[in-house]
Amino acid sequence: MTGQFAYPPDREEASAKKAAALESLLIEKGVITPQTVDKVLAYFETEMTPLNGKKIVVKAWTDAEFAAKVVVDTPAAIAELDLPDGMAGAEGEHLQAVANNPGVHNLVICTLCSCFPWPVLGLPPYWYKDPTFRARAAREPRKVLAEVGVDLPAETEIKVWDSSGHSRWFVIPERPAGTEDFTDEMLMDLVTTEAMIGVALAGSAS
Amino acid sequence: MKLQHYLGGLEGLPEPLTLEERVFVEEWEKRIFGIHVAMMGLSNHLGSALPAYPIDEVPTAFKDEWTWADLRTGAEAMNPFDYFKFRYYEKWLGGITQFFADKGYVTEEELADRMAELSSATADFDGAEDIDDQVIAYLRLGDSPRRDVAHPKFAIGSSVRITNVPADAHSRLPGYLRGRVGTVERVFEGDYAYFCHTGDGIGDPMPIYIVEFAPREIWGPRAEDGPLSLYAELFEAYLEPIEETS
Repeated sequence: MTGQFAYPPDREEASAKKAAALESLLIEKGVITPQTVDKVLAYFETEMTPLNGKKIVVKAWTDAEFAAKVVVDTPAAIAELDLPDGMAGAEGEHLQAVANNPGVHNLVICTLCSCFPWPVLGLPPYWYKDPTFRARAAREPRKVLAEVGVDLPAETEIKVWDSSGHSRWFVIPERPAGTEDFTDEMLMDLVTTEAMIGVALAGSAS
Repeated sequence: MKLQHYLGGLEGLPEPLTLEERVFVEEWEKRIFGIHVAMMGLSNHLGSALPAYPIDEVPTAFKDEWTWADLRTGAEAMNPFDYFKFRYYEKWLGGITQFFADKGYVTEEELADRMAELSSATADFDGAEDIDDQVIAYLRLGDSPRRDVAHPKFAIGSSVRITNVPADAHSRLPGYLRGRVGTVERVFEGDYAYFCHTGDGIGDPMPIYIVEFAPREIWGPRAEDGPLSLYAELFEAYLEPIEETS
């Protein structure tokens, strides 16, 4: 047995110290400022969150014209909405939506890294970056989806999108049945990050 | 051959899948994420980006290029067993710290000393606001790789074979597609550059396609049953025409 599989006993503590020491030195040397990292984090905590994606999905559920446009020219459709300034910014330069419908379920993956539509969904959750998910979803998406609770009819086509180019993909899930009387706010509560990548369906009406 | 390029389709992995929905699982991960974004927003290549960032006037001591390509190249250069051993942001922390050491911004000794004292620098300095403004401007305006009008070699519906050129330090070609045959499903408008020349054909502006693959073509009898299509977004350099045999 080599040391290959051993982790240092102070694994997290050492990383925390290293990250703090690096940030401190970069500030001291004038690379970044004492506020830079906090401002970056605040940008994602307050403006670029999955709330933007939820608004896009609910607009597509409630406006047929928008629904048709958002899958053809995603940036132009999004630009019509009242969303934070920067939807075409970093990792949103070339957004591309794909829509689920009764015969088709879309799943977005990135087998080479972790490309993710930041302005629409915020930062990627760990599962999206997990090598096991990335490896298995490419070969056996139906099985992977069933394991996380998405049991699709056998005749439903699964479309897997591997993000190896410039586009940053997200999914417009299907609107759940029985939500005809829901307000936009109620509809938004049914939409999750997971549903907008394709590893979940939008929540049920009950 | 790098195992990192061949992740798609790897078998023998744990089941069932569970979804860790947190973005960060340790507080320190947020700090290295923020440092990485700052580096991208202060990268010297942004002077020639599409939003013409006044990068030379930003009073940062950072004078190098740092893009996703650098982070990815580092991850792809790792011992593959380490790549799978360490968590996502552990790899970032290792790669970014190494970059600053290699480029002479910090020394190993300074890092070790600072880790021991753990005093945090909070002193403000002239121009601090301009540095942060540039980082946020980058986030809002981005760094689109789109360049010229495209002159694509392939049309929608064309059958193409994926190249099998040796990968260099970095690649945007998923390994499982090498040598496979697919059908062009979409031709994007415009040409798309990549941050660097990867050595396997991409870098200069070129068309990008969505290519559709039949899982049976890729995985053979190990493909999953049921209606399924696999799409990948591929630079033109990764596509070859299929010779017509008549």
